[in-house]
Amino acid sequence: MKFQIEDVTVFFPYDYIYPEQYSYMIELKRALDAKGHCLLEMPTGTGKTIALLSLITSYSLSEPETSIKLIYCTRTVHEMEKTLAELKLLHNYQIKHLGPQARLLAIGLSSRKNLCVNPTVLAAENRDSVDAGCRKLTASWVRAMAAENPNVPTCQFFENYERAASAAVLPPGVYTLQDLRVFGKEKGWCPYFLARHMVQFANVVVYSYQYLLDPKVAGIISKEMQKESVVVFDEAHNIDNVCIEALSVSVRRQTLEGATRNLNRISQEIDRFKATDASRLRAEYNRLVEGLALRGNLPITDNWLSNPALPDDILKEAVPGNIRRAEHFLHVLRRLVQYLRGRLDTENVEKESPVSFVASINSHAGIDQKTLKFCYDRLHSLMLTLEITDTDEFLHIQTICDFATLVGTYDPILQLSCHDASLAIKPVFDRFQSVVITSGTLSPIDLYPRLLNFHPVVSRSFTMSLTRDCICPMVLTRGSDQLPVSTKFDMRSDPGVVRNYGKLLLEMVSVVPDGIVCFFVSYSYMDGIINTWNDSGILKEIMQHKLVFIETQDVVETTLALDNYRKACDCGRGAVFFSVARGKVAEGIDFDRHYGRLVIMFGVPFQYTLGKILLARLEYLRDTFQIKEGDFLTFDALRQAAQCVGRVIRSKADYGMMIFADKRYSRHDKRSKLPSWILSHLRDVNLNLSTDMALHIAKEFLRKMAQPYEKIGGSGRKTLLSEEDLEKMGDGGMDEMLY
Amino acid sequence: MASTHVTKRAKYKTTIKDPGTPGTLRMTFEKILFVPHNPKSAGKLDVEFRYIKGKKHTKEGSNKPPWLNLTNNQNGSFIFEFENYSDLQECRDFVGKVLAKGGEVSEKPTVAYPDEQLSAAEMELRIKLLQEDSELQKLHKQFVLSGVLTETEFWATRKKLLDREASKKTKQRLGFKSAMISDIKPSTDGRTNKVTFNLTPEVILQIFAEKPAVHRAFLSYVPNKMSERTFWTKYFRAEYLHSTKNSIAAAAEAAEDEELAVFLKQDDILASEARKKIRRVDPTLDMEADEGDDYTHLPDHGILREGSKEMTESQNELYKRSLSQDINRHAAVVLEGRAVDVELEDTKAVAEALAQSKQKSSNKGESDGDTSRERLDRLSRMTEIEDLQGPNTLPLAPLCIKDPRDYFDSQQANALRSSGDALGEIEQIKCGLSTQEVYGSLRESISSIKAMGLKEPIVKPEVAHQVFDALTNSISNTKYHIGKNPQESVLDRLPRKTKEELLHHWTSILELLKHFWASYPITTTYLYVKVNRLKDAMSNIYPQLEALDAAIQHYEASMQKRSAQSGERPNGYV
Repeated sequence: MKFQIEDVTVFFPYDYIYPEQYSYMIELKRALDAKGHCLLEMPTGTGKTIALLSLITSYSLSEPETSIKLIYCTRTVHEMEKTLAELKLLHNYQIKHLGPQARLLAIGLSSRKNLCVNPTVLAAENRDSVDAGCRKLTASWVRAMAAENPNVPTCQFFENYERAASAAVLPPGVYTLQDLRVFGKEKGWCPYFLARHMVQFANVVVYSYQYLLDPKVAGIISKEMQKESVVVFDEAHNIDNVCIEALSVSVRRQTLEGATRNLNRISQEIDRFKATDASRLRAEYNRLVEGLALRGNLPITDNWLSNPALPDDILKEAVPGNIRRAEHFLHVLRRLVQYLRGRLDTENVEKESPVSFVASINSHAGIDQKTLKFCYDRLHSLMLTLEITDTDEFLHIQTICDFATLVGTYDPILQLSCHDASLAIKPVFDRFQSVVITSGTLSPIDLYPRLLNFHPVVSRSFTMSLTRDCICPMVLTRGSDQLPVSTKFDMRSDPGVVRNYGKLLLEMVSVVPDGIVCFFVSYSYMDGIINTWNDSGILKEIMQHKLVFIETQDVVETTLALDNYRKACDCGRGAVFFSVARGKVAEGIDFDRHYGRLVIMFGVPFQYTLGKILLARLEYLRDTFQIKEGDFLTFDALRQAAQCVGRVIRSKADYGMMIFADKRYSRHDKRSKLPSWILSHLRDVNLNLSTDMALHIAKEFLRKMAQPYEKIGGSGRKTLLSEEDLEKMGDGGMDEMLY
Repeated sequence: MASTHVTKRAKYKTTIKDPGTPGTLRMTFEKILFVPHNPKSAGKLDVEFRYIKGKKHTKEGSNKPPWLNLTNNQNGSFIFEFENYSDLQECRDFVGKVLAKGGEVSEKPTVAYPDEQLSAAEMELRIKLLQEDSELQKLHKQFVLSGVLTETEFWATRKKLLDREASKKTKQRLGFKSAMISDIKPSTDGRTNKVTFNLTPEVILQIFAEKPAVHRAFLSYVPNKMSERTFWTKYFRAEYLHSTKNSIAAAAEAAEDEELAVFLKQDDILASEARKKIRRVDPTLDMEADEGDDYTHLPDHGILREGSKEMTESQNELYKRSLSQDINRHAAVVLEGRAVDVELEDTKAVAEALAQSKQKSSNKGESDGDTSRERLDRLSRMTEIEDLQGPNTLPLAPLCIKDPRDYFDSQQANALRSSGDALGEIEQIKCGLSTQEVYGSLRESISSIKAMGLKEPIVKPEVAHQVFDALTNSISNTKYHIGKNPQESVLDRLPRKTKEELLHHWTSILELLKHFWASYPITTTYLYVKVNRLKDAMSNIYPQLEALDAAIQHYEASMQKRSAQSGERPNGYV
């Protein structure tokens, strides 16, 4: 359908639109017009992504002279694929209605591991090995060597890509990672470097948060994005954590041991070069005198993660004299590692600000702040000079230098771990015209501008208009024996609670069709409870009804388990998936439609409050933003819980139940932190249930949902709008129709 | 030997034990005539050849006397004992000739035709089909055996049934049990510490499927290196060690015993399989790909959290296997279903069959062009928001109605009845009107048309709506009734036997008509002959049907009388 929002003709690839999608677009347009940032919360299952994509692409179509670039950040690669698939749908629709003028180039960008098509490189297991494997074939000196000696292996795909030079372009269209790989294979061009190259021409770029937030990555990939870009952070409820992690480093004993090994290797290399090719080292020295501004000239394959500190913080000055020589730099690093090893030997937890930490390094190891700052870049330069390609072996020393640079750059806020989420995202807000932060759960919405320190021009939370009561949240406080259930510390290992939880699931698997998802508060708790259920035979009984799949810490295994889970739901066998709140599955996998008819949240997913880092962060939040510890912890726990249960609804035709199985959810202070779209369906009678009552409600609910219903919505409020409805709605008529 | 008849001396026996009545056997093309020498004896026989369905005879050189056994279509038999084998030979040939002439009649329903080279397997399939479906068997008997249709013609219209794949698919295969292998509990004899495990081939297959390393070990160790018994003893020893969750002890034992270590170690085949499978996983849930973009979770980057990976560098890690892994593996295997379809008897056979099927599936996996296509399709389906657009055709399995009659019959019957009801109502309304009134109304409308011209909607919307309503109502009514009372149909009001007979005639007529119309246009003489044959067969059925018709009419009349006596109106007036 096609409709007008003020002066913009919006192309929307469906016949109908939800009213909330429509108002979401209006707010979004307001923010784009004002060229400001915005914060939008809209419940899951209302088609945020497609609303956002179709407004922004239509917006840029309406103003062809100012080409707006859309930078769409997702948390995960699979969300990236999903977004691109939706964009493809939209793009096809626009092409159909507008013809060639609607053409755009949209690409997903990911690491070599996800884009490489060279089978020898791809055989490596993890990202770093793939990166290193690629460098071994494509580094400038390797290629120079190969030019002389045909026995040196190179990458066929990269060579072809280089040979094609400026002819190597992607024709307009929407490319998922899979499409890029297919295209690359077809043409014989390296999809990774092709995508990297095309980023500057693309109208839409979809990539991971970290490509923008993590200065190490952003420095090389996102530096050429123009100011007019619109940046979207989708599913941004955890954005503060991502920001913090981007600037945090932890050093452990193994890291230091590894670093020592790395240093020995580097010193051997230096000796070797001294003997064979001393001129190289001398050339490097001269270059360093002139400064570090060498990145622009590097061949694309020699790039690696850039400086972990933010671009503007690194001064454009020459490298300090004491680390210009390779040997000297090596000594500095050795001293640093030695010092850190000493620090790790303490028995007490020490909290220290970088200032005093740096001072202490200076007095004990004789390394000043400026030297520390340059550690990372100096290491990079050295490794390039030494022509080291197996970079995956050198992660440890990289970490140390990373740490050193960060510690040397930031003043009072950084303590081994970053506590201020606004640090990492600040350059993004400064650089780009509009930043859109959106998610299904951003409640309380006023907290985010404070955490991230920005001023949105639009900040709005949308409710969901449902055609029927298709979600059924329940709070289960008691088991079938009427004893309370909770994962509170003193109760969680109580065999009665574990049994009651098991009984609850057992009852539910026998009445709920297709898929059921269970979330536990932590891996260790989940392992414990599964073992107990296994011993007591509950698990066996559950298996008689549904297949059981479990999230483990191994990503490959979890992915396969998920894939099988979906297959089991597809074929009608039905399955249960055990997962962990705050785990990777809870973060990004949808359990919509028959993939999740019921979610059970066992317990309240509080963070581990005894963690030193969390305590330090809480202290920081209290001092800086006057946010109470308890409030923040509850907020954090309930946004996780809401996130977990929110994954069951995809559209208004979908339906699902949510059981919060912990007596603490019945308390007002906890419950009220849930997002409003859940609260509005949480009836008072469902606040204090026991297993048998919940079972009864579940049966009723499922029976009700199985009935046919009017999709457009009953009398009064419409929950689906057609093109005519939108035309009919004048500016005045709209509000009454929507709210 | 172009003689039109044969006459031989023979003895006629009703059973094999029967000493037999001596007499003269005279066979012509039309009939078999047996006249006993003793005109008083009861053995006189006069049978038309068309009732004879088959012949059997004893072989020369066997110690049995020369018997010719002719079977008729009532499965009765006539046995003739000849004086010598040459007489038998002559008679047998003659019977064979007559039978062959009288239509392509076969001894058994399964006999091959010269025009069709049937493999034994195909033959078997046909026999099986006939055995499974009594209806089909009846039809086959009626038409093929009576020569109305040839075997080929009969089966030509049932190619689908003969499709081996299809018939295979419909057969439901048994899956694995939902119980885990670890649930196999040993039995103790109560006196010693010895425990006994009972392994069935079923369980062994499950173990092999869930633990490829054990499977591989079995193939390479048994029976060359160790006996099957030692193998399983070792296996359960390993399982026991594993269940103690003492990875140090496990490591120690594994160090001593190389074979035991195989069971204790992480399954390397599983790991490599997982790596292969991960490439084919749905991209919308590929969390493994995320790691590629995750720069904050490099080892040592980011914040250490509770529950994040503990870096234990101990060797014992190798011998740790979590319950979660087992559960996931188990569920995956159950979901995959049983790949092996052999009769489970011998462990060795089980192991080999599994290895073979794996080989096959891995070969299939190589060419994964379709799967990636399918993945993309699935992805695009997943991204669409279902209720924002028109209905989508889902990739559903086609509805397979084994006996369409179950469906259409009740449907039709109900449709008939409800439309009958509706008609009845209309008639009632009509009855209320006199001729004059009708005429008046007609005039009125004509004059109004004359005066005002034709109105824009020629049929008034209300009227159209009413008609439409009535129609849909009858359809939905049907649906409603079907749900309520699936058995009820017109036929069910008839006595059971009549119903069966009627249905049988119905199916046979259908079959004949099918062949009849399939023969058009009649281009060859073969077809011409066939059509004639069919016509004759049909004309044979019609009188029978007429008789039935009369019977039914009689039955209904009596029913009506009875119901009239009880003072009720019959609701289904036909």
